Amino acid sequence: MTPYSYKSPVLTLDNVSLTLNGETILRDISAQVLDVCRPGMNQGQVVGFYGRSGMGKSVLCRLMAGLLAPSSGEVLVGEAQQPATPGAVGFVQQHYPLFNHRTLLDNLLVAAARRYPDPAEARRQAEEYLERFQLTPHRSKYPAHLSGGQRQRAAIAQQLLCSDHLILLDEPFSGLDVAMIDEVRKIILEVTTLDELNTVVIVSHDLATTTALSDRLWLLGQERDAAGQLLPGATISPQHQYNLAEMGLAWHENVEAEPEFVRFVEHLKEEIRLSA
Amino acid sequence: MKTLFLPNARPPRTTFALMVAGQAGLLLLLWLFYPLQLFPSLGDVLRALADLTTTQGLVPELWASMTTALQALGMATVLALLISYLTALPFFRPLAYAASKMRYLTLTGLTFFVALLVSSGHEVKLSVLTFATTVYLVTGMTAVMLGTTQQELDHARTLGLGEWRSFWEVVVLGKLADMLEVVRQNFAIIWTMITLVETLYQSEGGIGLLLYKQNRYLHLDGVVAIQLVILAAGAAQDYVFGLLRRVFFPYASLAAAR
Repeated sequence: MTPYSYKSPVLTLDNVSLTLNGETILRDISAQVLDVCRPGMNQGQVVGFYGRSGMGKSVLCRLMAGLLAPSSGEVLVGEAQQPATPGAVGFVQQHYPLFNHRTLLDNLLVAAARRYPDPAEARRQAEEYLERFQLTPHRSKYPAHLSGGQRQRAAIAQQLLCSDHLILLDEPFSGLDVAMIDEVRKIILEVTTLDELNTVVIVSHDLATTTALSDRLWLLGQERDAAGQLLPGATISPQHQYNLAEMGLAWHENVEAEPEFVRFVEHLKEEIRLSA
Repeated sequence: MKTLFLPNARPPRTTFALMVAGQAGLLLLLWLFYPLQLFPSLGDVLRALADLTTTQGLVPELWASMTTALQALGMATVLALLISYLTALPFFRPLAYAASKMRYLTLTGLTFFVALLVSSGHEVKLSVLTFATTVYLVTGMTAVMLGTTQQELDHARTLGLGEWRSFWEVVVLGKLADMLEVVRQNFAIIWTMITLVETLYQSEGGIGLLLYKQNRYLHLDGVVAIQLVILAAGAAQDYVFGLLRRVFFPYASLAAAR
């Protein structure tokens, strides 16, 4: 097992609930992402939140990104554990939005201008990200001219240019074929290698891929009361919080081929079926 | 040929051009040889056009109306953009709502009140046209703004842009091409209104008054000639707007199905 230790929290969901128009969407969600440290490794981490369709994943993302205030509880981000505000967390939405009226380079420059007030430095950083994400040949194109993969890389680069180490991906594997999923996995791992402090939070309904990439996993689901009735709102019950590093299932190159991993995913599927 | 009758088909350019030429030719033949003489003949219309141009100053009248229309459009666009953008602030939303509903007002009584407020006939025409165009533009522009998605604004916010900067980036810059399209579509309304306004307030002349006179004395060939001139001017304007859109907003048509 790879040795590791945990340091300070980078993201905390403390008893977060959300009610919209009288309907409970999320209920008492508590989870904490800690900065993981692996001796001799200069790599960040990936953590995952799994939830079935319609379980409030996108709402959870908006809460973590500071775009929505919880009805109760709090979302704290960063080393200083400040309440989440828009811009504090990099957030790549499901359809990889970019400014369609700006070229790719201009899109990155808008993002870079916030962290790098010197225009020359902002341009240098934007160019560097274009190079790193193999987007330099497309720098003058408008988003409508980019392929799905290029658009996704551009959206991630844009968020990395203006956020502080924490980046949130909403359904990064949704609607992608096997080759594209591999491509996205590479990008996610590339993001974690850019800086040891980088933490990628995946919120997805792709159980196997999310589990294979993550070292912590939370399952979003519904609970039942003593009478067997479903309680309103999705939550994360204590038994649905998994430390994959502790279980020896994290940071393996081809973990999906390992029998233990296969058994674990089957166990998760069973848990999900039971909570449905 | 088969592609011309398939839904959502994309026929070759030459086939399409031939089809358009064929349809135009058919229309011309119908005009030339239609047995019921309800409509003035092509020859009569051409003669009326020549007469209107040489003896009744069709070109200067057209120019006068067109410059007035462009002036009104310019002022209305600025006003409508201002009113629409102000809807970002809830305080100003009733203003945009009221402005949009004012398109149901008739212009007939309005010219009298405007005439009391301004000094010259030209100003009356301009004010009435600007008012009438603004209310239509506000309707179209606010509809464009309402098309802004949560995802678009959230995207700007996640980049750390403040609320006003997000609004500037997503709504102002991001929707400018759509706003130009609203202006293009509503320019046609000005031509409808200018003929009406020039009829109501005749001291300034204009192509509307010319049309009114031809109609009044049942010179149908002259009416058709003027209508065709207005149609050609409108088509030319549409082309210019399309050109401006392609030049200044090249991204606007990239995602559209062709």
